Amino acid sequence: MRQPSLTARRVAAVSVSLVVAAGAAACGPEDNDAKASGGDSAPHQGGTLTILNRNPQQDFDPARLYTSGGGKVPTLVFRTLTTRNRENGAPGTEVVPDLATDTGRPNKDATEWTYTLKEGLKYEDGTAITSADIKYGIERSFAPELSGGAPYLRDWLVGAADYQGPYKDSKGLAAIETPDSRTIVFHLNKPEGEFPYLATQTQFAPVPKAKDTGTKYEEHPVSSGPYKVVKNENDGERLTLERNTYWSAKTDAERKAYPDKIDVRSGLDSSVINQRLSASQGADATAITTDTNLGPAELAKVSGDKELAARVGTGHFGYTDYIAFNPNVKPFDDIRVRQAISYAVDRSSVVNAAGGSSLAEAATTYLPNQKSFGYEPYDLFPAGSTGNAAKARELLKQAGHPNGLTITLTHSNSQDFETSPEIATAIQDALKKAGITVKLQGLEDNDYSDTIHDVKTEPGFFLAHWGADWPSGGPFLAPIFDGRQIVKDGANFNTGFLNDKSVNAEIDAINKLTDLDAAAKRWGALDKKIGAQALTVPLFHPVYKRLYGEDIRNIVISDWDGVLDPSQVAVK
Amino acid sequence: MSEAVTKAAAEAVIAAQAPGTDPASVPGASGARQFWRRLRAQRAALVAAVVVALLVLVALAAPLLTALEGQDPTTYHPSLIDSARGGVPVGPLGGIGGDHWLGVEPQTGRDLFARLVHGARVSLGVALAATIIQIAIGVTLGIAAALGSRWVDQLLSRITDIFVALPLMIMSLALLAIVPAGFPRPVLVTLVIGLLSWGNIAKVVRAQTLTLKGLDHVSAARLSGWGTWRIARRELLPGLAAPVITYAALLVPQNITVEAALSFLGVGVKPPTPSWGQMLTAADVWYQAAPQYLLLPAGALFVTVLALTVLGDGVRTALDPRAASRLRVGTGRRREHRADTAGEKETSS
Repeated sequence: MRQPSLTARRVAAVSVSLVVAAGAAACGPEDNDAKASGGDSAPHQGGTLTILNRNPQQDFDPARLYTSGGGKVPTLVFRTLTTRNRENGAPGTEVVPDLATDTGRPNKDATEWTYTLKEGLKYEDGTAITSADIKYGIERSFAPELSGGAPYLRDWLVGAADYQGPYKDSKGLAAIETPDSRTIVFHLNKPEGEFPYLATQTQFAPVPKAKDTGTKYEEHPVSSGPYKVVKNENDGERLTLERNTYWSAKTDAERKAYPDKIDVRSGLDSSVINQRLSASQGADATAITTDTNLGPAELAKVSGDKELAARVGTGHFGYTDYIAFNPNVKPFDDIRVRQAISYAVDRSSVVNAAGGSSLAEAATTYLPNQKSFGYEPYDLFPAGSTGNAAKARELLKQAGHPNGLTITLTHSNSQDFETSPEIATAIQDALKKAGITVKLQGLEDNDYSDTIHDVKTEPGFFLAHWGADWPSGGPFLAPIFDGRQIVKDGANFNTGFLNDKSVNAEIDAINKLTDLDAAAKRWGALDKKIGAQALTVPLFHPVYKRLYGEDIRNIVISDWDGVLDPSQVAVK
Repeated sequence: MSEAVTKAAAEAVIAAQAPGTDPASVPGASGARQFWRRLRAQRAALVAAVVVALLVLVALAAPLLTALEGQDPTTYHPSLIDSARGGVPVGPLGGIGGDHWLGVEPQTGRDLFARLVHGARVSLGVALAATIIQIAIGVTLGIAAALGSRWVDQLLSRITDIFVALPLMIMSLALLAIVPAGFPRPVLVTLVIGLLSWGNIAKVVRAQTLTLKGLDHVSAARLSGWGTWRIARRELLPGLAAPVITYAALLVPQNITVEAALSFLGVGVKPPTPSWGQMLTAADVWYQAAPQYLLLPAGALFVTVLALTVLGDGVRTALDPRAASRLRVGTGRRREHRADTAGEKETSS
């Protein structure tokens, strides 16, 4: 039911982008030829792309960045072994080779991965990129002073658990071999069929040992991508990138790199960013944002203006907002109570509270509604669009609550339209019809996230959300439902305390698969199996509306991260 | 000087200065008439009084008014909003019509008129209750400091200074964040505002009490053997009424803005209970797409605070003896007033 509408939306977004590009060409004073030919929408090289962001490009060191698919701005400077597919019209959730010639060659049980580098790869200073540089780049990320990256490498590489980085231990990691300057082999302590996804992260970018300046490397990291850092002010608040003349499009199928210069300005308020993009004055006409989307009120304003509405791109990102239960807290220990709440939820009012049908899609599955996650549509406790109060009352009666229930819903006070008071109030209103009185407990954002991720303070009934590091079922399901990942001291994400032997075994079995399509199918089936436990009530998958300047063309929004890809856009 | 006065003379002084005889500062039975006469003379204050009366009436009658409209403040109306456009209300002017007199709220479709009038209950209720707490604490501590021993005065005055210096908003935020969720929120907000910001009124009362203490009728009462409590009640409180009522009239609008600010910051009353400050928080991003959503609570807050402030100023003018004497200079006028009050006394008796 949702899939067709999704496709329709995507088609609409593409056609919109074509119309816009044509419109922009017609308006552009410099494109006289284009005007004469009736609208040339083809992108051209040159010009300056401005990126208006909220968050600065802090710690712009490949060892310290925590990215999905190589990041947005980082991907302009750092190439990695593999990267995300960005071809317009393609699914956009697939891993493709970047520095390597393929996405990796596994051994039989996926515990050993071999990559070969392409020929003719160069840094910004013209020196050759070698496999030893990639090994060194990964080793650096283990140094305590260069923390910030994802924890997978430490968990997966053989003998890496206590490694302290190349500054303290010059012998390096034995788990990474470089038999020659173009080959690199990784030895893992367990089967990981999704290793190619991990190899998209910036920790897999080459770092020349001779140029490594430790914690100061972030001021001027050596570029392997189409742009190099010319200026980095205030720890990434303003970043100026210019063309890296040694980068060659022949070795890089994913990055188009049309603009000559990129000016990243951050520390802006989201309303300011959207205001500036809609006004498109001066340099803002060739501006995009890689971390801000339209809020409900902004969408209402933009959609009422044809010119602005044509400048909005739609993005999806594997993400789910849901209600979580702690089955150790009464009455949520009773599955019938959890099921009753699943039936009573009014998803249409929740979607409206999240910004309406253009900004959220109702969810009945925990996995995001994208093929790469292994999405298998299911609705185990059909609530319809507005909730099934009668069925909920019946279940509550069976559970020994014939006169209804009074429960407390914990949420955050941040205005994010995800775990915020608006969503909580919509749920409160819907459950009222089923005889459930909901009291709201709003916590400050930091307090909220500490409270729900600590086994000692975890509330019984709260709003939560989850997004994966890459578009696959593994990083989406394992941290939340693998019983061996319950953390007693520290941040615990298995908030439903599920420790089911058959679930744990299936997670291990899927991790062995190197056929990612086959793995996706099994993740989808596993999601449905876990869904029967009613440990969560999936609410919605957010949709992102991205506004861009009036002279921007070649708009590509991949479903990997749902963001306008700065490596694809052109300003001429 | 009072030491020389005999007991009989003291009684005489008390009789002379008894409540009701000083028209400038004492609102006895006839003083009240005097006060109303002066208040009525100020047109702005009169208009403000009517507005405040209406607001209080609306707040008290909120359930009746919403029943008349056929709506309530919490029901969602998904059919009245355009979900695909971020949840903006369908129809012109935010969906204003016969069913929804002031339109509906974006994203939920809840009735704005119902939310506004129910919000008035929270805003006015919290502000008035907090003012009563502030007055009670301020007057008690002010009088105690003025009448107590030097040691008591020092202690109470320093405590008062601390409360005057407290940054109200920051303290309120901190307190509201740590109190358990189960505590009824409007009561909590009332207590926090009431218990934190009574310092200034205590200072005013202490100063006024010290002045009154030196007056002949108080000295006479003391000489005639009255206890401290009786003196405070019979001789001091009537004299304190003017400054206290004036101060209270100005505290109410101040408390309304504090409540709105706390709700705006997300620590005030909890959803779905509406309050103006909370409506403002939700509405601030909608100022372009649905302007009436922001203008309604902002306008209500503005009118209420303005009316209460003007009324407070009017009350002050009508009660403040110095302002009064500035207006009516000369003994001739004074005698005239006395004649007036005497006449009123006669008619009322």
